[in-house]
Amino acid sequence: MRSRALIPAIALMATMIFSLVLRAQNTAPARPPAGPPPGNTSKVADLSGDWAPDPKRGGIGQSLSLSDISGRQRGKEEDIPYLPWAREKTLSERSSTGPDLGFANTTDPQVLYCEPPGVPHIYLWPIKTKLVQTPEAVYILHELGPYFRVVWLNSKHPEDPDPQWWGHSIGWYENDNTLVVDTIGFNDKTWLDQVGHPHTEQLHLIERYRRVDKNTMELDMTIDDPGAYTKPWNARRNFILSTTGFLRYQQICSVRENQRFFDNLAKPAIKK
Amino acid sequence: MTSKRTRNLGILVSLAAGLLLTGRLSAHHGAAGLYDTTKSVMMKGTITKFEWTNPHNQIYFDVKDDKGNVVHWIVATEPPQVMLERGWTRRSLKEGDQVMVYAFIASNGAPVGNLQRIVLPDGKELTAR
Repeated sequence: MRSRALIPAIALMATMIFSLVLRAQNTAPARPPAGPPPGNTSKVADLSGDWAPDPKRGGIGQSLSLSDISGRQRGKEEDIPYLPWAREKTLSERSSTGPDLGFANTTDPQVLYCEPPGVPHIYLWPIKTKLVQTPEAVYILHELGPYFRVVWLNSKHPEDPDPQWWGHSIGWYENDNTLVVDTIGFNDKTWLDQVGHPHTEQLHLIERYRRVDKNTMELDMTIDDPGAYTKPWNARRNFILSTTGFLRYQQICSVRENQRFFDNLAKPAIKK
Repeated sequence: MTSKRTRNLGILVSLAAGLLLTGRLSAHHGAAGLYDTTKSVMMKGTITKFEWTNPHNQIYFDVKDDKGNVVHWIVATEPPQVMLERGWTRRSLKEGDQVMVYAFIASNGAPVGNLQRIVLPDGKELTAR
């Protein structure tokens, strides 16, 4: 009876050790940042416009998993190559939205502390995005925050970038219709999406913004983080042109406004 | 220093952002059991205030119950930037408007809920989802 009781404990210990070994084997620095292909002569892609999440193609979604955008299969997605610790971490998180949402005890740092969501998490919010293109840089503006990122064109990453919320981004154009953004230097404080997929400071994110037609833009992403996943994996967000104008209303995280909302709409509904 | 206040703030912000983001999935999961999302309840009422604000717009309206008593209701919509996409503005509702409100309401009977759609005095309908 006693030995039977020990079996789960031994199994748990073995899993933890296996996880640590795998993690140790995968803590090599992220691969060197990519640059434009040799002989690249792409024209500047026209990405102008105010871009909103496409409600007909994924909407804002919950998860970056292409096989599970609703987040219902969290931890079991076939297209996310977790390291064991990353799977366990994901399953230990408590989302504020989606199928497992728990308002009162979420662990989402962006929701809990009003911290920056980082990228790609910000693309899981119901806000618009605008790309301001100049010869030196592309400025990616978001209605949430409002936050912005700078994508430096014709540039290189620093040798040893300081880990930061939005990392360090360089970019270039390809095929006359695509902006490629290569980002490293993230801190590890953000979630990749609404359901708690983690990342480490080794995250190397490659984004490809492509205007498909006048009203549609696609963003294909490669998430390369050997500290959390066994191999790179892909995600996508779809956008449509908005007619209401960028930043017509700012999505601010205000404790005071949240308090009023909580008092008016939530507190009465919680009472038994 | 992780005080009770900090924890309460966490709960508050979580709740606010959670409701903010339920969005398209709200029909399936609602507000974590706070609201009954299996049916939309219709109420005839009079608008007393419309707040166009983060994290959610708030619509205040009065409804007479079966006994003739006035009940003060509040329902929320998605945040302003989302409602703009759906044709709303901060002037979509004004004090005194006689409206029909369709909402998922609190399971515990409190007069609060999530708006699904609203019919204005001129018959025009605005959807919230």
